[in-house]
Amino acid sequence: MKRIFKLLVIMLSIFLLSGCETETKDKLTMVTEAGFYPYEYYSNGEVVGVDRDIVKRIAEYLDLELEIKDVHFDSIISEVKSGKSDIGAAGISYTEERALEVDFTDNYIVSNQVIIVRNDSLINNIDEVSGKIAVQLGTTADSYLSENYPNIELIRENKFLACIEDLRQSKVDAVVMDEVPAKNIMDNTMRILEEPLFSDSYGMIVAKDNTTLLNAANAVINKMKESGEIDAILLKHLESKEETKEEVKESNNIFVKIYNRFYRSVILDGRYKFIITGFKNTLLIALGAVILGILLGTILALIRNFHDNTNKLKILNKLAKLYIDIIRGTPSTLQLMIIYYIIFGSSEVNMILVGIMAFGINSSAYVAEIIRSGLQSVDKGQIEAGYALSLNYRQVMTYIVFPQAIKNILPSLGNEFITLVKETSIGAYIGIVELTKASDIIASRTYDYFFPLILIAIIYLIITFILSQLVALMEKRLKNA
Amino acid sequence: MLKIKNLKKNFGKKKVLKGIDLTINDGDIIGIIGPSGCGKSTFLRSLNMLEVPTSGSVILDGDTIDLNDNLNDLRRKIGMVFQQFNLFNNMTVLDNIILAPVKQKLMNKTDATQEAIRLLKKIDLEDKKDNYPRELSGGQRQRIAIIRALIMKPNIMLFDEPTSALDPEMIGEVTKLMREIAKNGMTMVIVSHEMSFIKDFCTRVIFIDDGNIVEEGTPEEIFEHPKDQRVKTFLSKVKDI
Ligand SMILES: Nc1ncnc2c1ncn2[C@@H]1O[C@H](COP(=O)(O)OP(=O)(O)OP(=O)(O)O)[C@@H](O)[C@H]1O
Ligand SMILES: [Mg+2]
Repeated sequence: MKRIFKLLVIMLSIFLLSGCETETKDKLTMVTEAGFYPYEYYSNGEVVGVDRDIVKRIAEYLDLELEIKDVHFDSIISEVKSGKSDIGAAGISYTEERALEVDFTDNYIVSNQVIIVRNDSLINNIDEVSGKIAVQLGTTADSYLSENYPNIELIRENKFLACIEDLRQSKVDAVVMDEVPAKNIMDNTMRILEEPLFSDSYGMIVAKDNTTLLNAANAVINKMKESGEIDAILLKHLESKEETKEEVKESNNIFVKIYNRFYRSVILDGRYKFIITGFKNTLLIALGAVILGILLGTILALIRNFHDNTNKLKILNKLAKLYIDIIRGTPSTLQLMIIYYIIFGSSEVNMILVGIMAFGINSSAYVAEIIRSGLQSVDKGQIEAGYALSLNYRQVMTYIVFPQAIKNILPSLGNEFITLVKETSIGAYIGIVELTKASDIIASRTYDYFFPLILIAIIYLIITFILSQLVALMEKRLKNA
Repeated sequence: MLKIKNLKKNFGKKKVLKGIDLTINDGDIIGIIGPSGCGKSTFLRSLNMLEVPTSGSVILDGDTIDLNDNLNDLRRKIGMVFQQFNLFNNMTVLDNIILAPVKQKLMNKTDATQEAIRLLKKIDLEDKKDNYPRELSGGQRQRIAIIRALIMKPNIMLFDEPTSALDPEMIGEVTKLMREIAKNGMTMVIVSHEMSFIKDFCTRVIFIDDGNIVEEGTPEEIFEHPKDQRVKTFLSKVKDI
């Protein structure tokens, strides 16, 4: 037991240290959501795209090393605002609301927001737009339609791929999105209306006081616009997509079809690497979190148990209970965001560590209750006998209560670990590449949502199945011990 | 000598002990009887502070027992045996016996083990030293619980219905051990529903009803010539059974 504990502590310190390591070269951190072809997308495990190419030039201009962070689109402004990232480039359109939070560079792209309908649709121009319209949540299409088309029913999807899927399955009547990706992901059952719904332009965002970066970015952007480099880059990325598309031969054979999807989702472009990274990170975060959860949870449980037994530590007990109630009473997504944006603020920190902290803190509340009820399950008579033999609280806990409680606690902790493995999927919100994010990344390149999702669902299932078996085995062993 | 002065205990609004005065002299064997729920266990548990009295004091050999002060010292001097034996299920018989003397540094482990084995031999259970409590009969468990208390070399031993949870054929082995301990001059306080045992074994009997000592005297006085009507009623009921 002691040995295991030691090992865990060592592992945890390694995580902590790896988060603290300092780097020497100054960096320009670009934040994006790499699922917006051709502006930002993954190729061979790296974020590439028009935006990256432009920001790369800005970094060179400033003699900085470019680092890219891939997060949820909703998080990009907070990333830049909090100073966690220097520049946001993710096909962001200028809005007054956003401009209140951050500064925009000059436009580097002007894009058309088009309407996609099925071939048999009766919608033929802007004025006929009605019924159910799918948009990507939080995009300009979303806000534009919300403001100007009060009579339509907006379906807000997290990904525009899901919008297209909705259209394919006739769940919506039309999709509104950027013309460039639209042309790439629509199939021959759909058409794009000739007249764009509205035009949109993209700028990059920097923190309000960062004029140096703003000026540098504008200088680079304007130079590239004038020389036509941006158009060339756009074309280059669109063409690279065409190449990869041709590698897969279509067929009517069902097995070939499945193989093709597998090939595109897993093998092509080394996409299995995302799954491996995701798998590793998922396990690492869950393991780190459960260890942290156990450390914190044990302290909380002891405070509460000590109070229950002796009526001392009243205030500390109240605080512990408050902490547990707050953690258990608020969504873990929210806790993750708060820890990332508020607690860690502008400091640069290893994402895995943030995940471990957030999920560990979350888990500690549940672990505390697991341990507390485990301690309470031990026969009161034996505890009294311990006191009657002149042992003190600590001795009674160490020699009598813990060894018996552990039989009830360990299996529950195993189940907590299983829960955590699944919980980590929300780490994708702040850009942790765990399994779910890995499937997201792959889907954003293949435009095939289902295959990677099913694939990682199977991986989750396998992990949890194995863990459940281990927990069952442990339970059996402990019962006989 | 253990002196109890005006001991009161409330559980919330409920008054369970209403002011008990009692002096227990060395060598006394005191039997406590009374109807169920009258506060016998609560009284016994107040003596070693398993229940903290609401007011009043417990004075051991001249020292007033203070909750924060010398509790461990008090508890070392007062052994306790429970109805449900309360052996530690996670430990062998031997470990049960030597845990407290070793952890409280009364003996080193070798001495404690030696002493434990000597005591186990006395009760014919030496061969069970490496067994776990769940592998023993009730009578065996209770006798081990008694020597577990005994190894601390207490001045006083408290017994809360030590034979109530036993099958009838096992009661004898436990009372026999208690008699042997008494023979060596141990001071004892026993709560029991075994009237014949109390009558035969104790030097003094105390009848508690509704949180008060109603009558106290020699076994003969209490059992043969009770004065208080409540004692009479109680004894006649017990005899009926
Ligand atoms: N921890 C507690 N909280 C509240 N009430 C209690 C507690 N312990 C005992 N009581 C109450 O105090 C009263 C006396 O209990 P106690 O166990 O001392 O009785 P007793 O004389 O030992 O009874 P018995 O012969 O049944 O063992 C009972 O009414 C019981 O319900
Ligand atoms: Mg009782």
